[in-house]
Amino acid sequence: MTTLTMPPAATEAASVRRTNPLGLSWRDMGTLIGLVLIFSVFAALSPTFLTSQNLVNLLQQSSINACIAVGMTLVIISGGIDLSVGPVAALSAVVSATLLANGAPAWAGVAVGLGVGVACGTLNGMLVAYGGLQPFIVTLGTLSIFRALALIYTGGNPVFSIPPEFREWFASSPLLLPMPVLIVSVVGLLAWLLLRKAPLGEYIYAVGGNEEAARLAGVPIERTKIAAYAISGGLASLAALVVVARLGAAEPILGNLWELEAIAAAAIGGASLLGGKGGIVGTLLGAIILGAMRNGLTLMNVQAFYQLLATGVVILLAMLVDRLTRGRG
Amino acid sequence: MTHVPPYALELRNISKSFPGVKALNAVALRVRPGEIHALVGENGAGKSTLLKILAGSQQPDAGGEILIAGQPVVLSSPKAAREAGIAMIHQELQLVPELDVAQNLFLGVPRTRFGCWLDHGAMRQRAREVLSDLDPTLDVRLPVKALSVAQRQLVEIARALLADASVIAMDEPTSSLTPAEFVKLLALMKRLAQRGVAIIYVSHKFDEIYASCSQATVLRDGTLVTELNLGDTPEAALVAHMVGRAVVPTQRRVAQRREVVLEARNLNWRGRVRNASLQVRRGEILGIAGLVGAGRTELVKLLAGAEQPESGEIWLREEKVRFRGPADAIARGIALVPEERKREGIVPIRSVLSNAALPSLNKLSRFGWVNHGLLKSRIAADAQRVNLRPLALDRPIRLFSGGNQQKAIVCRWLSAGMDVLIFDEPTRGIDIGAKHEIYQLIEALAAEGRAIVVVSSDLPEVIRLSDRMLVMQGGRIAGELTDPAAFSEQAIMTLAVSRETAIH
Repeated sequence: MTTLTMPPAATEAASVRRTNPLGLSWRDMGTLIGLVLIFSVFAALSPTFLTSQNLVNLLQQSSINACIAVGMTLVIISGGIDLSVGPVAALSAVVSATLLANGAPAWAGVAVGLGVGVACGTLNGMLVAYGGLQPFIVTLGTLSIFRALALIYTGGNPVFSIPPEFREWFASSPLLLPMPVLIVSVVGLLAWLLLRKAPLGEYIYAVGGNEEAARLAGVPIERTKIAAYAISGGLASLAALVVVARLGAAEPILGNLWELEAIAAAAIGGASLLGGKGGIVGTLLGAIILGAMRNGLTLMNVQAFYQLLATGVVILLAMLVDRLTRGRG
Repeated sequence: MTHVPPYALELRNISKSFPGVKALNAVALRVRPGEIHALVGENGAGKSTLLKILAGSQQPDAGGEILIAGQPVVLSSPKAAREAGIAMIHQELQLVPELDVAQNLFLGVPRTRFGCWLDHGAMRQRAREVLSDLDPTLDVRLPVKALSVAQRQLVEIARALLADASVIAMDEPTSSLTPAEFVKLLALMKRLAQRGVAIIYVSHKFDEIYASCSQATVLRDGTLVTELNLGDTPEAALVAHMVGRAVVPTQRRVAQRREVVLEARNLNWRGRVRNASLQVRRGEILGIAGLVGAGRTELVKLLAGAEQPESGEIWLREEKVRFRGPADAIARGIALVPEERKREGIVPIRSVLSNAALPSLNKLSRFGWVNHGLLKSRIAADAQRVNLRPLALDRPIRLFSGGNQQKAIVCRWLSAGMDVLIFDEPTRGIDIGAKHEIYQLIEALAAEGRAIVVVSSDLPEVIRLSDRMLVMQGGRIAGELTDPAAFSEQAIMTLAVSRETAIH
């Protein structure tokens, strides 16, 4: 919550977006440097950290959060927040798993699962855009509702008997990388293109940066917000499908606290919870930073309690560095 | 030695450096007791920095001197400045809306009984005494949020008097006052001056400066240009000192009467627009004058689709139209350049390119992707045409001056190909140099055949720009002035206030 009450000065001092020789904005360079630092520390402390096997593992472990965080980034840039991603994932997981277990073809399971996610996101977007409610409150409400629907639908029990073809497709490794990593790469690329090259991307920044000015400039405010939440819902269900394939089961309690981890990745990557600012490259780097923390500390046999502590410290450090270096250009 | 110090306030050799910028360079300022002294300069000339130093919230570089009544002082904090007898009346008033007038007057310097609890009775009594001079009708128990802007300003001035200030600095005090309220403020300033208070008056409005001040200190780019006696300085000379060159007023354009593009018939909205009708022609600049609160902004927002009329019709090229939002109006070629640039005009953290592109993105994209090459070249051409400085399209718009932000918004609508442009207070808070550029731009847009509406509280501005003028009063169109030769401040003000006095 503290991040939601940042002083207005934070946007005032938002960094000047210029690119450097690597083609990244300076803010993204900062995140990359943070990532390199964390990698160096773990590489020095654990001989297995920098092996290619472990790095592939790390990317695979980060892919679920990265997928959610990409959608979250769009919503955050638009000046909103989506707390309901975990329950949306759970609901689409149990719906599509039930279809698959009952013999529906894999494509149908995938399509319906994604459809449920997009529908949930659209509902969030409509409540925000037309209902005039605050995004935090809307998605806090739907967080409970979607979770409840998932529990009611399954009677609280996991759905098993996921067909092996479905599982194998997601477990395959074309192009030497695990399917989840490839999926997130494609998602990230599309979202990056959306923000850079599509009118919708510019609208999302404008709505988050100054909604009234955007309205007077002719931006379709409602459609823009709904699109951002719909994409977030769709990506939550995509992440759910990956998890279902990996576990071979769909649990109605899946996705607990996913929203917080996704918000953390976006924030580390430079998204401002006041809206108008953020990017896909930063968010993906943020997700990898969080994944590296977990992976590295596990390799070093650090207890889970301390992992949580370290993650919290990294988030706050990233925000402090962000605050101190802002406005430098 | 019975030596009377000639100056209530004297600054000698005051400099202020920030990393990379010298905001003030060896500036001097001398104000006599009882003098109303104008501090003028364009935005960024150093006025704000100088005021902050006087207020004690910023420290000057070493080597400068500040003297109050001949005595050197160090204004190390806002408290020290207050104790030295300097009071500030800020542009955005610094009162607590929920507290009452008396509580606000004694904020930070409470009267207590036995040193522990607040003595409300004594504070109210003293507040009444101070205010009796300024406005005896003001109830000191009213919460400040119930007061008008002018009344709040009185409270701020009362606070200065309460602190026995010998120097009062006013930063754009009239930015939210009506002309009538300015007249009252002026009388009050003169009374304060008679008591020997020195007043520093910062304003962009020359008519006010000439009406109130005797001396002026001109700053440009952080340096002192000159100190002069306003009595023998014509306005054009003052402007030339401010901008460092002469600003040549352009010749009046002769408008051709052409067909009506936009027409409003009997528009009504929330009692703030009443039965308002108007017509705008191709190639014409229609001025809308009136007092603050006369319904001008509301009327043009109806025309631009930003609000929806409760009754009445809008006709565009002899076709009845209905706008559900600004996007509808923009799709039909009508755009608004809003009054509050920061709140309604710009997306501050985005680049000029992003800001200018918003209404054009859809037209310039195919299959959901923007043709960036075309977009950029079109906006670059229009940015050049409006003379955006610096011509850096990727720079966040918040880093530009107010005048250049306004130019970027005009650029936005040029690129989107609008036929009707509505300017609400087009030069509010804009430097005098950029102001003339915006005038020329508006005139050029009209000459190209666009229909232009200009709402302005700045009477010389609306007189200069308009080919035809409507004056609003209480939500109605109170009158129309059709002959530019007959435009005068008096003619406008007569229409703007006539019925108001008739009703009461």
